[in-house]
Amino acid sequence: MSTTAVALAEASQPIHPPPTSFWQRYVFSIDHKVIGRQFLWSGLVFLLLGGTLAMLIRWQWAYPYRPVPLLGGLVLGKSGGVIGPATYQQIFTTHGLIMIFFAVTPVLIGCFGNFLIPLMIGARDMAFPKLNMFSFWTFLVSQVLVLASLFTDLGSAGAGWTTYPPLSTNVGMPGLGQTLIVAAIFVTGVSSTMGAVNYVTTVIRLRAPGMTYMRLPLTIWGLWLTAILNALFVPVLGSAALLLLLDRNFGTQFFLAGAAAVKGGGDPILYQHLFWIFGHPEVYIMILPAWGIVGDVVSFFARKPHHWYRGTVGAMVVVTVLSAMVYGHHMFLTGMSPLLGKGFMLFTLLISVPSMIVVLNWVMTVWRGSLHFDSPMLWALGTAFVFGVGGLTGLFLGDISMDLYLHDTMFVVGHFHFTMAAGSFFGAMTGITFWFPKIFGRRLDERLLKAHFWVTLVFITLVFGGQLLVGYAGQQRRLFDPFQYTFIQGLRGLNRWTSWAAFVLFAGQFLFVWSFLKAVFGRHAEAAGPNPWQVTTLEWTETGSPPPFHNFDHIPLVVRGPHELSNPEVRDLTGRDFAGQAEVLPGGGEPALAAGKG
Amino acid sequence: MSRLRALLAAAGALAARAALADPLPETGYGLPRDASRDGFRVDELIHFTLAAIAVIFAIAAAALVWSFLKHRRDHPAVYTHGTRASTAAVLVFVGVVLFTVDGSLFVRTLRDVDRYFWAFARAEEDPAAIRIEVNAHQWSWTVRYPGPDGQFDTPDDIVTIDAIHVPLGAPVVIQLASTDVIHSMYLPNFRVKQDAVPGMITRLTFQAAEPGEYEIACAQHCGANHYKMRGVLTVLPPDAYRAWLETATADARRAYDPDDREAHWGWPWRAEP
Repeated sequence: MSTTAVALAEASQPIHPPPTSFWQRYVFSIDHKVIGRQFLWSGLVFLLLGGTLAMLIRWQWAYPYRPVPLLGGLVLGKSGGVIGPATYQQIFTTHGLIMIFFAVTPVLIGCFGNFLIPLMIGARDMAFPKLNMFSFWTFLVSQVLVLASLFTDLGSAGAGWTTYPPLSTNVGMPGLGQTLIVAAIFVTGVSSTMGAVNYVTTVIRLRAPGMTYMRLPLTIWGLWLTAILNALFVPVLGSAALLLLLDRNFGTQFFLAGAAAVKGGGDPILYQHLFWIFGHPEVYIMILPAWGIVGDVVSFFARKPHHWYRGTVGAMVVVTVLSAMVYGHHMFLTGMSPLLGKGFMLFTLLISVPSMIVVLNWVMTVWRGSLHFDSPMLWALGTAFVFGVGGLTGLFLGDISMDLYLHDTMFVVGHFHFTMAAGSFFGAMTGITFWFPKIFGRRLDERLLKAHFWVTLVFITLVFGGQLLVGYAGQQRRLFDPFQYTFIQGLRGLNRWTSWAAFVLFAGQFLFVWSFLKAVFGRHAEAAGPNPWQVTTLEWTETGSPPPFHNFDHIPLVVRGPHELSNPEVRDLTGRDFAGQAEVLPGGGEPALAAGKG
Repeated sequence: MSRLRALLAAAGALAARAALADPLPETGYGLPRDASRDGFRVDELIHFTLAAIAVIFAIAAAALVWSFLKHRRDHPAVYTHGTRASTAAVLVFVGVVLFTVDGSLFVRTLRDVDRYFWAFARAEEDPAAIRIEVNAHQWSWTVRYPGPDGQFDTPDDIVTIDAIHVPLGAPVVIQLASTDVIHSMYLPNFRVKQDAVPGMITRLTFQAAEPGEYEIACAQHCGANHYKMRGVLTVLPPDAYRAWLETATADARRAYDPDDREAHWGWPWRAEP
């Protein structure tokens, strides 16, 4: 069976000729590895931009009406460095949009999806390499639109990242900046959809022979489920953005009501349904790849098979399905039917079941392992911590009674920063530190990375914990000057301390920037070798670092699951504590494949 | 006689005002003080959930920390993909949490929502119920009381801006609308919140249990000056409330201008919006 299957796989793989010119190789490349790096760079640059905007928000809450040091004169020259209310709403709006759509999405999905899917399933490239290239360039257009919006007369978008109409229509935000941002959301949606279709097809069609679904690394499960969610729900966001553009620029009134609805009008709540039926899956779009990465990394660095692999996969599938059925908990206060609200509350509480199974399986994997605390492992365990805190605080918000009080407070902000921001950022850092040797063929400076991890873990907990605390005390989100309210005045000190934690957190990120740049461009960076972490999956065991243009000399024949670690049988045969997914053990025959279970 | 009544009413209102300070700042970092009949239901749930997640977190963290200390690099990893027992342990843990934590949250909340927080019909059954219409717009709350005739949008309506007066111990039902964008009426000391959506009438109900002045906040970003959309809710003892109502009605009669169409935004009270 095996030779025929491999021959068939070889024949069916899309082999395109290697690039011949600089432009083909580095710019308009159709090689998934180059596109992955392009997404990584564009995402990291915007991550820094989004982080800078966060610092402006924190400055405002610590020292309202005082000029921003350093940055203020540079970007807020007209006001003498002081943030005004109109500028402030643009800062928090663009911070949210940039972080979600233009920083985390390209790194977690664009970079890892592109780089890892073909390599981890044993394919030569994506199913549609050209579509892949278009996906990146479309994405770049959306990033340019975001940047352009910052330079318009009335400034960028200011209706919040959720862009609720009628505030986001001409009623509330008449500027060109808001139009450009809505257009950017639409364009990035097109890019995500192209990517999603590509990932889904690639995983279904191009798995190497023997790579059954139950042998897929968890990373691929995460990326694949994410792609399915993207393919289903990003077009809904696109349609909402398109209708909003029509409302803004062509006089339609899909989302207008109230005094502005002179010709009958539409329904502002319709937008919220469209937005959140995308928006809640989006939370899982951003966390599922991180879950997958953490699942694999925890197993690799505990030198132990993942606990109850099928349970984790099942839980991730259930989360994917349920994620579209809980979105109403964002809308408990919109006057929705109580019965509908209760239904959404039920599903929201139920989604804690698969989430807990995923996290407990990480704990059980670590239990009685042989823990190697290299930087990817630290980040993976850090992900478990921040996601745990974020997930548990979600219990408050999925419940209607408590949401009546906590909705739209900083408690919500703290909750989704622990899950979506810290969770996906830590997941991304797990991936970057783990696969950096494979992507660039070099090692990162482990000491700098560890310092970066500890600074980030401590201070991110303080920052988002501070948000939870002020939210618990009732402070609303998105306030230019929270201390207008008497009941918030006592929180001035807490807000200020949280801001200082944020400034340290931001400064600490330059430890990573430095180690990253040093390893990519430095002359003395250590070469990685094909399998520096001594792990099992195809990208480490079957090809070099970085992999050649065609990925694999031969399409590998997969014989076992992704977590064959510390198997005594394998140790007897090879003297190693791991067996590659496609490795034929010495001795041949049935015993050699015995370790294929699981 | 009527002059005497008016004088008495004014004196009552003055006395009520002197007895009350501006909204007090909160002390400490906890929940704001609860001034409502039903807010404790939210607080109890919050405290229950806090305790529950602390226990869940402590169990998971203890297992991990134990593992970090005992199962280091020199500890030989145990080769297992998960046994029947370990899988069962995971499922039992999840099951226990589901039934004790999620289950009790769900049941309690169903009851509280039906009986108290969204029980509008029930609140209106009370003959003492206070009906108020609030029209939100950038960036203030316009408030309308039906006046002696009990009808909204009539000449005897009391209209105030950024100020709501309610009596102690009577259910209050507010119908909310918005002229321009979505706002959200938030009463932190009463643990309630409700969006005001253009084109819709939404509802909010609560009952005050402590006299005093409390803040009305906007919780939904509604434009550059969202942070200034602040009002004051005054809870008066029943006598003082009646006195305030009389003065305000007299003022409203005098201030009524049939030609000022902008001011006539009230809507007929909706039994079931």
